[in-house]
Amino acid sequence: MDQRSYTEIGVAALVILICAVVLVQANDLPPGTFEPLGSGPVPIYTSLIIILCCVIVIMRAIKVLIQSSEPLRAFQMEFSTGLPIGGILMLGITIAYVSLLHFQVASFGFVTFLFLAILIWSMERFNHRKILPALAIAAVFSFGAEYIFTNVFVVDLPT
Amino acid sequence: MDFVALAGAITQILTPWPFLMMFTGTALGIIVGAIPGLTGAMLIALTLPLTFYMEPFNAVVLLVAMYVGAISGGLITATLMRMPGTPAAVMTTFDGYPMARSGRPGRALGLGITASFVGGLIAWCVLFTVTKPLSVLATRFGPFEYFTLIMMAMVLIASVSEGSLVKGLISGLLGMLVSMPGVDPATGMPRLTFDWYMLNGGLQLLPVLIGTFAVSQIIKDSLDTGALPERAEMSSKGMLMSIRDFIRHGTNLIRSSFIGTFIGVLPGIGASIGSVVAYTVSKNVSSEPEKFGKGSEEGIVASEAANNATVGGALIPLIAMGIPGSVIDAILIGALTIHSIQPGPTLFLTNADIVWAMIATALMANILMWLLMTSSVKYLSNLIYLPRSFVLPVVMMFCVIGSYALNNTMFDVWVMLMFGVIGFLLERARIPLGPFVIGFVLAPLAEEKLRSGLMMTAGDISPIFTRPFPLAFSIIAVALLVWPMISEYRQRRRSM
Repeated sequence: MDQRSYTEIGVAALVILICAVVLVQANDLPPGTFEPLGSGPVPIYTSLIIILCCVIVIMRAIKVLIQSSEPLRAFQMEFSTGLPIGGILMLGITIAYVSLLHFQVASFGFVTFLFLAILIWSMERFNHRKILPALAIAAVFSFGAEYIFTNVFVVDLPT
Repeated sequence: MDFVALAGAITQILTPWPFLMMFTGTALGIIVGAIPGLTGAMLIALTLPLTFYMEPFNAVVLLVAMYVGAISGGLITATLMRMPGTPAAVMTTFDGYPMARSGRPGRALGLGITASFVGGLIAWCVLFTVTKPLSVLATRFGPFEYFTLIMMAMVLIASVSEGSLVKGLISGLLGMLVSMPGVDPATGMPRLTFDWYMLNGGLQLLPVLIGTFAVSQIIKDSLDTGALPERAEMSSKGMLMSIRDFIRHGTNLIRSSFIGTFIGVLPGIGASIGSVVAYTVSKNVSSEPEKFGKGSEEGIVASEAANNATVGGALIPLIAMGIPGSVIDAILIGALTIHSIQPGPTLFLTNADIVWAMIATALMANILMWLLMTSSVKYLSNLIYLPRSFVLPVVMMFCVIGSYALNNTMFDVWVMLMFGVIGFLLERARIPLGPFVIGFVLAPLAEEKLRSGLMMTAGDISPIFTRPFPLAFSIIAVALLVWPMISEYRQRRRSM
């Protein structure tokens, strides 16, 4: 079974950080006046238990790394699977798309057309044979979705 | 039993608009279930915004039909390509694919489809008979009973989730924590809002769901858009089960269906575990255990009967107590809340039509699923060839629309993206996502019950230890927490 000790340590540390921030905020909440518990204790105790669990996960992951003969090789194995560029493209282009919608740069249909065309083509590794299918799919789904959601389902779209 | 109410709901479902919803839901569910990488939870979360303007009856029919369809569709690619369309179909790959490769794909698919149908039918019988008495019992529950029941459910979800108990707990508790920002309903004070007015309303269920289940899955799938494995030749020969087949596999069908139903009832435990347990039991009692994993008919029947039976089983705690039996049930709770319907034991009294719509759809969609899959499995098997590089961006576009449509605010879209990344990271660290969503849905209810209970007793927590139900739930929760540690300790001692 492949180990993901480094990822486990990183994610557990991130969760601890989130819980620590929550803990600080929840500590400032005033105690209850007409009810015994108040707003603070539930998030405080929840955060504390999560932190405890994360510490256990980190300790177990460190133990696995110590026991493994080649921790550097384990690191390489852990991050060499999959094609990270696909995930980076997907996330990066989606963030750009949502930003354009947020700042209302152009209509939903046009921005979505650009988003779909660029993302599909880039996921096809900029294969020039895929430009036309990408443009066709992008046009059908972007302008089609804009029409259907606005006129048939009567759902507001970001514009 | 309420045969009249059931007949009324069935009659209403057979009218044009609800029938169209059921047909669309079942067909879409099967299609999405058959495409690896797309899940039923993703489909239902993305469909939720479309139901805003529907009649609640039609919305429930659509969503429950999708649920039934999505669990069933996974067996097609599991059998023909050794790629389970849904996680629930993993066990089917072990025997379905070898049987298909040995020249009997129609037989493998036919056994799987009919076993799914029988599993769904037996679970539905339990759903129909047990739900109402259970909801009557649950109406007697006070705040402490509810609080301890939810805590027991959370521990149960964490302890049986894939990975370790600790990771399950992290996921569930993190989900609970994420549900806490916003104006505290008990005091009216903002809590964990970081003086940011957008957080006063808290984090909404829909963006969190779409982010956790759809966006994280899209990011994960976009890491691997490589070549597809070889597909077994498709033929419809031997698709229908004969009476002799029913007699031969009858005991296995009934046993696996009851196992699936029981596991479905347990909160938060999905179809995957149901099929694993039924498959293992079937192998252990089989007269030909050596055939399992090499194209055994018993293996396919056990896995498929059990995973479909979990659907009916999981609807029981949802309807009777407002506790989700699976991740999709957590989304259904969100759908009910969006339509101003309060899930819980009083649902039979306040919205009986909705309850009967769910129960009747579970039956009708199961029958429709059998008809659709038997007649169109040959064509559905081609869905696997849809290129991911075209499908994933379009699904992402629907995620954006779905999140925005809730409140017409881009804040929800950013929340969705953030939870997409969080969900992806949690999965990479093998922290299961199921407990996260169920924790998110159940935490407000748990906190409300605890605080109202404490107000009633002026801060005295002793009813948890003096009343029978809270005490029983607490003991079970502690046992579930402690048992894995004892088991691990004993194993370590044995290996020393």
